[in-house]
Amino acid sequence: MRLEYYFRETAAGLRRNGIVAFAAMSTAFIALFLFGLSLLISREFSLVKDAWTGNVQVAVYLTDPAKPETISRLQTTLGDLEAVGSIEYWDKARTCQQYDQLFEGQEVFQEGVNCEEAIPTSFRINLSDPAKYDQITAALSCIPNDTGQIECTEPGVRNVSDFRALLDRLTTITNVLQYGVLAISVIMLAAAVALVANTLRMGMFARRKEIGIMRLVGATNWRIRVPFLIEGLVEALVGATLAIFFLFVIKVLGIDQLRGSVQFFPLIKNSDVLWVAPWVLGFAAIIAIIAGTIGMRRFLDV
Amino acid sequence: MISLQHVSKTYRNGVTALEGVDVEVEKGEFVFIVGQSGSGKSTMIRLLLKEEEATKGDIYVGGKHLGKMSSWDVPKLRRNVGTVFQDYKLLTDKTVFENVSFALEVIGKQKHVIDQRVPEILDYVGLGDKLNNYPDELSGGEQQRVSIARACVNRPLVLLADEPTGNLDPNTSVDIMRLLDKVNRIGTTVVMATHDQAIVDAMRKRVIELDKGHVIRDQSRGVYS
Repeated sequence: MRLEYYFRETAAGLRRNGIVAFAAMSTAFIALFLFGLSLLISREFSLVKDAWTGNVQVAVYLTDPAKPETISRLQTTLGDLEAVGSIEYWDKARTCQQYDQLFEGQEVFQEGVNCEEAIPTSFRINLSDPAKYDQITAALSCIPNDTGQIECTEPGVRNVSDFRALLDRLTTITNVLQYGVLAISVIMLAAAVALVANTLRMGMFARRKEIGIMRLVGATNWRIRVPFLIEGLVEALVGATLAIFFLFVIKVLGIDQLRGSVQFFPLIKNSDVLWVAPWVLGFAAIIAIIAGTIGMRRFLDV
Repeated sequence: MISLQHVSKTYRNGVTALEGVDVEVEKGEFVFIVGQSGSGKSTMIRLLLKEEEATKGDIYVGGKHLGKMSSWDVPKLRRNVGTVFQDYKLLTDKTVFENVSFALEVIGKQKHVIDQRVPEILDYVGLGDKLNNYPDELSGGEQQRVSIARACVNRPLVLLADEPTGNLDPNTSVDIMRLLDKVNRIGTTVVMATHDQAIVDAMRKRVIELDKGHVIRDQSRGVYS
């Protein structure tokens, strides 16, 4: 009885407010879509960053096979440097795990290459201060050769990779894209809140006579409000569902087409879009709650 | 049942609608509130529904002190106080049955209760054969009967009527008064604000006369003036 009542009232409200409800829904859709997009962008670039650099600034590769005493000696040498913030040793297993991730789905690299043989083990280093990078090359007696590789004379060390510039660039691109899209989505979210609040207010205005009677006969405030709240929630959730759907569309029609044609470049998967979905739905609920609070503030004091 | 003690009401714009009003109404009484327009009749009704707060004094309805009542409890108060107005306040897009069932539906009554009580009360007010008509299809008197049915369907302790015959011709007004009297005889306390002299004189009930916010007369079995 009760549920049926709420659904009936909500459906009637949406029908009555047709065009305004549509405007609210489409704004919520665009806002939530952009919000989800900004999450996916940051997801994508963190995948790239991780794959390319292991999310560290410096990698020190060791000559194969690395002897345990070499590893511990170098760990001490490097760990004692003031420049080194954190240091982690990647053995073969950890190294190949990242390799698999980087070349996932690309058979040439998966089957044609034996990761264990091809890729040396390494120390992954985050610097306490990027400017002190030179301490590392000095400690390992490394100099750049003509091809730009940094080769070292320290026994057991093969070469050093400096990811600082690359990381900086990736971070900048991510930030510009992500925060740009996020900023637009925030504006759209505000617009969505305003529009949903407006449909609620219009709905209540259209039904002020009914609301007046409900109050007279002793309906509780919640009894009066809930149909409107559900209406706002439905509008926001319809927007969210569309947004999630179109994020999948983008992923299938856009990202998936790139798969296989770009190498050394991990791409987001369905699971990443799924990871975004609860955030989008959560924000839809927040839109509805704020809109409900704003839209009904004035109308409903007993 | 109803008690107003030293009640004053001054609106925010400075207009004083009631001043130092003391009224006691016993359970089952029938009371007319009479007076000129602007004498404070409607304000008194609104205070009893807690649509307005008294500026000074204490108001009790059914033993509850309205000034100390939290807004959560106001709906409970209103479930015990039926209201009837001059303009009926019916929903034109709902049938007679739906207008009355609406009042039960929105306070969460079960469907079987609604299906039993609504035809019962509509029969009681004499509209048993108009369940599926829309308000537009009814005469003014019939519309007021629907509104009385709606006010009474939840079996309130008190029925407040603000000019219920204000839009009706004399004969129809008499019919409405017979109905209100009938409602009163089953134990409902009725408070009716009116300036319909003929009716007050004919009914010979208790009359409270207001003038500029003061009670200037409180007479049992009274007349209009």
